[in-house]
Amino acid sequence: MSDIAIKTVNLTKRYSGLWSKHPVDAVKNLNLEVYRGEIFGFLGPNGAGKTTTIKILLGIIYPTEGEAYVLGKPAGDPKNHYKISYLPENPYFYDYMTGREILTFYARLFGIPEPERSKRVEELLDRVGLSRAADQPLRTYSKGMLQRIGLAQCLINDPELLILDEPTAGLDPIAHIDIRDLILELRNQGKTLFISSHQLSDVERVCDRVAILNKGMLVRLGKIEELLAGGHVEIIADKVSDNVVEPIRQLGGKVSLHDGRLIVQQPDDGSVDRVIDIVRAAGGHIISVKPYRRTLEDLFVETIQGGKSV
Amino acid sequence: MNAVMAIAGATFGEAIRKRILIVILLIALLIILISPAFGPFAGGRGARTMIISFGFGVIQLAGTFIAIIMCTTMIPTEIERRTIYTILSKPVQRYQFVLGKFFGAIGTLGFMYLMMGIVFLIATRFAIGEFDARIIPGLIMFFFQSSLLAAVVLFFSTFVSPLVNYFLSGGVFLLGNLLSSFLETIQRNPEVTPLTRIPVQILTLILPNFSNFNVQNPIINPEQVITDPVAYTVQTLAYALVYMTMLLVLSMLIFNQREM
Repeated sequence: MSDIAIKTVNLTKRYSGLWSKHPVDAVKNLNLEVYRGEIFGFLGPNGAGKTTTIKILLGIIYPTEGEAYVLGKPAGDPKNHYKISYLPENPYFYDYMTGREILTFYARLFGIPEPERSKRVEELLDRVGLSRAADQPLRTYSKGMLQRIGLAQCLINDPELLILDEPTAGLDPIAHIDIRDLILELRNQGKTLFISSHQLSDVERVCDRVAILNKGMLVRLGKIEELLAGGHVEIIADKVSDNVVEPIRQLGGKVSLHDGRLIVQQPDDGSVDRVIDIVRAAGGHIISVKPYRRTLEDLFVETIQGGKSV
Repeated sequence: MNAVMAIAGATFGEAIRKRILIVILLIALLIILISPAFGPFAGGRGARTMIISFGFGVIQLAGTFIAIIMCTTMIPTEIERRTIYTILSKPVQRYQFVLGKFFGAIGTLGFMYLMMGIVFLIATRFAIGEFDARIIPGLIMFFFQSSLLAAVVLFFSTFVSPLVNYFLSGGVFLLGNLLSSFLETIQRNPEVTPLTRIPVQILTLILPNFSNFNVQNPIINPEQVITDPVAYTVQTLAYALVYMTMLLVLSMLIFNQREM
């Protein structure tokens, strides 16, 4: 079994209207590999091509050029759909049905027979905390409850790969944490999660790797810790003499010294200990050492405003 | 088949809760219920003919509206609300989705016709003192007419917007009711040129013939005689089944290529 869950090769989706002279590339030459068992964040501003890519992976639309593979088979292969599941952004379900009925409906689409079907439905209702609301029509559900039922329908087939589009959008903090915990729990069970989201703090917390798309093109791809490397450490010290300034500057730090109070912004590249040693050797007193980590939001803004492709 | 039946069940469940369809059904039931009151206005044709043909007229009109309104939005709404994405991301093929929607529509029409049929039978039983044997085959014919119309609407809904579909389906239904008699008329007229006759012949051939299902015509016009009613009914129903199958196959082929 291949260790790649999703692979795209020069994937391109071009839209050209009947009368339009200028076709638009919603996705352009996208090359991506998502490994089994990882949580992969798929990011980008609105209109970047995220949902288009997801639709191609699900076989809802077809690529103009290039190829897409899901779990080793061409995207859209219905046999593959036994092993994958999808939660769209702001999901809508038949709202006259109850929570139990909608899960039963989706279980029937998989052909799961009774009594296995009922057993699985009850387990999932319990797992997403909706057992008590199981017989309420979905039109009475809150957004958080709908999102939970959406995740439950995603799990009805015990999938290998989950494709989640904005799974935590618009949720209150408690529901937010619940869904995030559920995502981590799924990863611990060995499932692959492909998450498209604008909730960058969530992505930073749960994802192993991310890809950033802009104008249909892949502009960043990598492990979170690698992409976010390059933060700095702020060192504040007192009773420091002028002669430390130059050696610290030579180590690449930004230094300010006023009335014996030293503030250093030192790149987090292993030189922090040496700066502290220099300050101490000069009789200075370290007040604080505070790391400032680069956030995914910083990276996202920098990448989108920079606009270069990988 | 499990997936098709699940989709059909969901479609039926949703359709019978649509307020607009419930309102049409209730209005139709009310009119059918009071239709015996129109008997005395029959003049020379007789109260029985008046009540039955009037009742059939109401049922046909209600069936037509239900079929068009229900099926026009059936697929576009699923795309707009994105429910289709969660369905097609399951092991459901697009043809199964179209079939499920169609069977759901047929189930809804069947339910509506059953309601109207029961009320119609009760109303006529009290109005004329007996069950008229022509009512049940007549109801079946109109049910098939509405089902054929539902297939036409569903076919258009795979590639046009709901608004366009209303006009297209309404137009096809109107032409399908009028064209065969129109063709007969112009064929009897030697002055009609081939330039007029041929397009009408082609249209008559392509468009479904809805007039064959209009069983109230022989009731109203005694000069229209059907020599073998059983054979006529079987032929007409077989025609509907074949035409529906063709439309479904075309709908599936178009929907299979459609991007959502």
